[in-house]
Amino acid sequence: MLEYSLIAGILFGVFFGFMALGLNLIFGVMQVVNLAHGDFVVLGGYLAVVAYSSAHVNPLMSLILALVLFVVVAYVLYFPLIPRLTKSKDPEMLSLILFFGLSQIIEALDVIGFGNNPRSLPLAIMGSVPLHFLGQNYQMAWVITALVSLIMIGVTYGFLYYTRIGYAARAVMGNRDEAMASGLPVAQTSAIIFAVGIGLAAMAGVMSPFMIGSIDPSTGLGLTTIAFAIVVIGSLGNPLGSVLGGLVYGISVMLMQTYFSSWSNLVPYLLLLIIVLVKPSGLLGRGVRNA
Amino acid sequence: MLSPKLVSRRSHMGTNVAIPVVLLAAFSVAPMVYANQAVIFQMMAFMVLAQGVNLLYGFTGYLPFGYVGFFGIGAYGMAIGIELFHLPGLVALVVGALFSVIVALILSPLLRLSGAYFAISSLAASEVLYNVVANPALVHLTNGPYGESLVQSYHPETSYIAMVVLLIVTTIIVIVIKNTAFGRALMAIREDPVSAEMAGIAVVRTRTIIWIVSAVIAGLTGAIFGWHLSVFYPSTVFDLSISILAIVFTLFGGGGTAIGPILGSVVLYGLYNAIGISDPQYFELIYGLLIVLLVLFLPGGVVSLLQRRGNYVP
Amino acid sequence: MRKRKQTMALFSLSAALLGTTLAGCGTSSTTSVPPAKNVSQITIGTLYAGSGSFATSSLPEYDGLKFWANQVNKAGGVFVKALNKKVPIKIVAYNDQSSATTATSLYSQLISVNHVNILVADFGSVLTSVAVPVAEENKMVLFDQSGTGTTFFTPNNPYIVLTSLPNSGLWPDSLAQYLIGKHYSRIAILYDTNDFDQSQDQTLVTKLKAAGITPVYNSGVPTSTSSYSVLLNNIAQTKPQAVIEFGYPNNDVSFLQALKASGSHYKMVFTVFPGQLPSLFTSSVGPSAINGTYTYPAPPLISHAHVNYGMDSSQFIAAFKKATGDNANFLNIAGYNTGLIIQKTLQTANSLSQLSLRHAVSRFSGTIETLDGKFQINSEGAQTGETLPVGKISANAQGQVSVQLMTPLS
Repeated sequence: MLEYSLIAGILFGVFFGFMALGLNLIFGVMQVVNLAHGDFVVLGGYLAVVAYSSAHVNPLMSLILALVLFVVVAYVLYFPLIPRLTKSKDPEMLSLILFFGLSQIIEALDVIGFGNNPRSLPLAIMGSVPLHFLGQNYQMAWVITALVSLIMIGVTYGFLYYTRIGYAARAVMGNRDEAMASGLPVAQTSAIIFAVGIGLAAMAGVMSPFMIGSIDPSTGLGLTTIAFAIVVIGSLGNPLGSVLGGLVYGISVMLMQTYFSSWSNLVPYLLLLIIVLVKPSGLLGRGVRNA
Repeated sequence: MLSPKLVSRRSHMGTNVAIPVVLLAAFSVAPMVYANQAVIFQMMAFMVLAQGVNLLYGFTGYLPFGYVGFFGIGAYGMAIGIELFHLPGLVALVVGALFSVIVALILSPLLRLSGAYFAISSLAASEVLYNVVANPALVHLTNGPYGESLVQSYHPETSYIAMVVLLIVTTIIVIVIKNTAFGRALMAIREDPVSAEMAGIAVVRTRTIIWIVSAVIAGLTGAIFGWHLSVFYPSTVFDLSISILAIVFTLFGGGGTAIGPILGSVVLYGLYNAIGISDPQYFELIYGLLIVLLVLFLPGGVVSLLQRRGNYVP
Repeated sequence: MRKRKQTMALFSLSAALLGTTLAGCGTSSTTSVPPAKNVSQITIGTLYAGSGSFATSSLPEYDGLKFWANQVNKAGGVFVKALNKKVPIKIVAYNDQSSATTATSLYSQLISVNHVNILVADFGSVLTSVAVPVAEENKMVLFDQSGTGTTFFTPNNPYIVLTSLPNSGLWPDSLAQYLIGKHYSRIAILYDTNDFDQSQDQTLVTKLKAAGITPVYNSGVPTSTSSYSVLLNNIAQTKPQAVIEFGYPNNDVSFLQALKASGSHYKMVFTVFPGQLPSLFTSSVGPSAINGTYTYPAPPLISHAHVNYGMDSSQFIAAFKKATGDNANFLNIAGYNTGLIIQKTLQTANSLSQLSLRHAVSRFSGTIETLDGKFQINSEGAQTGETLPVGKISANAQGQVSVQLMTPLS
């Protein structure tokens, strides 16, 4: 029971770390809390469901589709929203409300476009033979989802550490004003990171029906809170932090389900509160915040 | 001959006094003019909550996303007062307020956080409260997932009057705080806590006081609201959209003023009902768009239109 | 002075706005029963959830009620005994978006502004709950379609009638009998910690214990749970013969999907909603995930033989398909059944006063059988006539679902 919970928690946690990655990037670079993050994840899920049910597109193909489509959508969305927001008096607070509004809009469009019923993907698409490991069976869909998540986290890491835009993004995360002063293209970097962050959310969404069973229009806000908890547990701007946050979350949820099942949905919230009160900079954070 | 300055100060005082008087008159007459008392009652409840959010966000810059936590715990405190201690409704409201004070004290370390961290952590705290109240382990105290039924103490008229009183008192508190040194201290903390500390303001004490005051306001609103509903589930009184609406109303009217949250609640809650009753299909869409446009084009709220031209706004 | 004027102008503007908002939505008048002879139509007020977590269930139920009203109106209206003539039906409905707070003011709107003759609750306990005291206070009978909350029915409140489902605590009666009859000694139960599911768990466990069976696994999980793999693994460790899961539709979907992926097999697997919403399950988890599992089968999967009021199942399925283009599910039938009960009430009541309506319901209670089963209420207004049998599902690859009854249909 314990081993199964731990390993399932790791598979689950890696996925959730990936799911939170986009939120982490956007908050880190723009100080903007994307409360519609979970709704973009749900949109990615709908894309996979519709692609599979109408044209039998394998979700692994839908991943690429989701990335391209949502990077474009988010890039277009960036210009009317973010520059105006950053100029206002209290962008961080106002972003919470602005993106809550966006989340309502997406939810309403989901209802109009896809109806209220929960939608899902058959797990058998990813192979019906379970993976046998340490005397236990693990469903293939989980293993593949975790692998995809790990690969994408790796790619994002590479993007941040080995490209020019990634370098600029890390500089902006460190100190926006200094980055601006040293002539880095802050505005352009922001736009690209915003697009990439939402593209990653939609990619996680494609795999989400395998991990969370089914999606419906109201799934988004819960995912956003979990993502925020993971980002804070890990630490801002560090993709490895997201993995760590995801693992802490995944393993805790599975252990709670095993030993105190009725309390299991307290996990993300309690972890979040403990971390912000004990170590606000997150587990991997180095910076000191004045609070 | 009075000096012009004195005239203007007197006139400010007049406007300030007029606010609670007009509110009292409006909500005393309203049930006779309009038959749907529930709408009027909820509008008052949101007005009070918006003022509570205003005290925190408008004056100190803390955005309490989980404000509904105090509201829900107030409602449950009231219910426990009635069910377990067999208190009459009005006395049970005090139990609700006490519960919210206790919770506010426990959560006061959250004030060390800033910005989005505070906002999301307060949301997490309200989710924790919700899940604890609704957990089957607490079934003897809160009736857990089965919800509360206080039909024997149902008093729609008394609870209506209680809400009017709470609204007037809250409005007066906001006006008084705004016009005294305490309010200016809060504003100073909002602008720059470090300089405020150096200017001799007891930052921690001041913000803790305002935190508790706004928690009590939400707790009492929840208690009266729960009493007015008298049958509710945990999900009813810990509904996140209660926080969100109160925040949006404050923001729409304009934080840091006494009139802003009132204006926001009247206009937006009125609109909420008008849209809700007439064109339900696109309700969520319209409301979402409205919020987005508001933040982009009027982040200081409606009152900022007047303030921008140098007018005094109460 | 100019500034002061502007401030005052702003202030009076807001006061005026308050006035217009309050007055704008409708004009006031006192609540009273309209004089019977002048009634030209019967207005039925109800709420539905157009979005949010209850929309999946609320919308089809509302469709069923609308279908009933259209059928009645096509036939020239509903016969009202108090008027001794047929009168058309008008439905006034508002969207509460699954929010109980919004529902409160909308129920109040129906009663105090629209002055509806008949008040019908939205789907489920949460959205029904807030209507209970409002209806009692305004002395309106609440036609509660599916709000089976345990606290709604009290001896002193005549203003509530449960139309289309029995109280959730009664649901597992047949299930318990079936499990005991099969001599299953190792039973695992997983339930969601909400009113609806936890009360079923309590009833089942009590009945099993009375028969000397202690479940090998009995755990509550939050209703928001969507990941069941670890829970299923824990259940598998207890080596049960029968696995029972009490959830909402979303939970049952995720549970069955995870069960299929886990590759575990049990003699009996039971979930609540495939019997009510089979097409939701075949489309989201596939027919093979529900094939061979057990459920509470509800019409149209089963049909009651002795229908003496309204359409029977097959007539309903055909007529509903023709009218709406959709395949009927249980919730459509539940909404339609509410309409039938209202229809019978109006045919029976001597006046249109609410207490007279309520007495009428008591008078015909136990005498009619609709496609939803026998309609019988107790003195508190709770439904006791319908029972939920246990059925075994067969689903073929094309998604056609049928049920074999394992316990008798009351």
